[in-house]
Amino acid sequence: MNDFDSQSPTPPVVELRHVTKVFRDFWRRPKVVAVSDLSIEVRRGEVFGLLGPNGSGKSTTIKTILGLLHASAGEVRVFGRPAGHTGTLARVGYLPEESYLYRYLTARETLDFYARLFGLDAALRRRRTEELLRLVGLQQAANRPVGEFSKGMSRRIGLAQALINDPDLVILDEPTAGLDPVGCRQVKDLIRDLAAQGKTVILSSHLLADVEHVCSRIAILFNGTLRAEGGVRELLVNRDLVRFTVPCADPALAGRMAAWLREQCGSEPAVDNPSMNLESFFLDVVQRAGEGTTGAPARGASRP
Amino acid sequence: MRSVGQLVALARLTALEAVRQPVVLLLAAACVVATGLVPMLLMHNLGEPGRMARDGGLAFHLTFGVLIAGYASCSTLARERSAGTAATVLSKSVSRRVFFLAKFCGVTVVVLWFSLAAGASTLLAERIAEKFHQSSELVGYATDWRTARWLLAAPAGAFALAGALNLRGRPFQSVAFLLLAVGPLAVLAAAGCFNQAGAWSPYDLRVDWRLLPATILVTAALPCFAAIALALSTRLPMAPTMTGCVLVLLAGLLSAHVLGPWASRNALFAAVSGFVPDWQVFWRADDLAGGGRIAAAELLRALAYGAAYAVGALCVGCALFERTEVNG
Repeated sequence: MNDFDSQSPTPPVVELRHVTKVFRDFWRRPKVVAVSDLSIEVRRGEVFGLLGPNGSGKSTTIKTILGLLHASAGEVRVFGRPAGHTGTLARVGYLPEESYLYRYLTARETLDFYARLFGLDAALRRRRTEELLRLVGLQQAANRPVGEFSKGMSRRIGLAQALINDPDLVILDEPTAGLDPVGCRQVKDLIRDLAAQGKTVILSSHLLADVEHVCSRIAILFNGTLRAEGGVRELLVNRDLVRFTVPCADPALAGRMAAWLREQCGSEPAVDNPSMNLESFFLDVVQRAGEGTTGAPARGASRP
Repeated sequence: MRSVGQLVALARLTALEAVRQPVVLLLAAACVVATGLVPMLLMHNLGEPGRMARDGGLAFHLTFGVLIAGYASCSTLARERSAGTAATVLSKSVSRRVFFLAKFCGVTVVVLWFSLAAGASTLLAERIAEKFHQSSELVGYATDWRTARWLLAAPAGAFALAGALNLRGRPFQSVAFLLLAVGPLAVLAAAGCFNQAGAWSPYDLRVDWRLLPATILVTAALPCFAAIALALSTRLPMAPTMTGCVLVLLAGLLSAHVLGPWASRNALFAAVSGFVPDWQVFWRADDLAGGGRIAAAELLRALAYGAAYAVGALCVGCALFERTEVNG
């Protein structure tokens, strides 16, 4: 699982080979082994989820990929070059775990500043800035210093700065942290859009539902070591069970079908009505409220 | 070409972030006020009020300048490293060398602007000090009270104007800092219309231009100090960096006295003496005593020393920062 398949159809965008990262104290003594012998690869167009509890080494892995931290052992390559190469970083967008922003700059100045770092000309800078402000829904707050922003707004402007250079590889560290459900859904939709455009996304999160919705492949880290890696469907599917979803509103028919299944399988089948998840329900309510739909508040079974 | 653009953008941001910190504004304002007060509050001038005013002004320039350079350097690099903004910038296609040099350029712009205010204040303080004048327009002892009042009013005016502009959305601290240098320069220009007794007279600035090279030398010490502070802050957090800066400053001030006698006899002491910055090189105010001047050769030698030392410190800083882990 850990070694690379040299016969893979597309070259990997990110390769980590037996990477170990040891943090040392002032006297150079080993303090924490944050990542241990980690080998993963991420291919073009994938949405790759990096999962794990707090302190499992997700952020360290991401910072090693970006060249902000240096691997104690092993090799990290991004677009075929060593991590931290400035030419490579021009194709990378990064949203840190916390939105580290210059608090005195306004949202527009922030995006303009990061656009300057990529050498975009004035016209392109203006266009990208306005596009991204619109994309993350901060047009109204464009001239406010980001130091005054709420956490959710900071995440939005952080996300915008990560996309300022139209990157081929987008690395998002806890992108939905601090966002309301509408913002979370927008971020997930954005990640899907990026993947549809052929961009590669690495997503670090401990919100499993977010990862499950958008990722094509995941790696699970625990205490700095890789515990599982593979496609989301492959890892989550339970091949011992089969589920049928049938448009059948007649309880009598459902009862007869259950009896037949019990007879055939020799065990009690589970029969229930599928429900939408809370996120979809919330978004549905908010959307209808936003459209000015009048009527009684949605409750239990009265939901359409 | 892109590196130049990045350097300019980062240096501009560094300067902006530095001058938007209240500490920098307060230090700069304190320097102007203290320099303006020296000639007015002299109790015992030993017959040399002009000298005490200019020495006081230069000392304030150096002291407050070192504080501003040290604080701005430490806060811009050590704090950005810990706060994570450095990680966000360095995750873009910005080389660490460009990032580090941009920090130095930004801090240098700030200390140069501060030096404009401090230098103009020192020139004015020397003019204000009570002296015996013997010219066609004025004979006798005079203290230039009018200029003194204007000089002390300049920071208050800068704060008031910045406050008014803040009503229109301009950030107070940075505007006040910019106006802090404009104020003494405007006073300097306006004072030329009056003599030291406060009477209208043909336009003449009536300042001791011999002070200018001394001011330039003190100014040259500040980027040098900023380079050392930045080099230290590549690896150390803010508090240890500030402590290190103080130690470097004290070592530099004392090295000539402590290490000097031993340097000619012992290679180790000679090496340490050469390694520690010699701040005395930048303090040539004593050359002005008795109507003396700072020789052009001395000025150039001191500037070359400052430039070489700053370049050396920057090279060390670049090398250290290249391998520094940015884990904000």
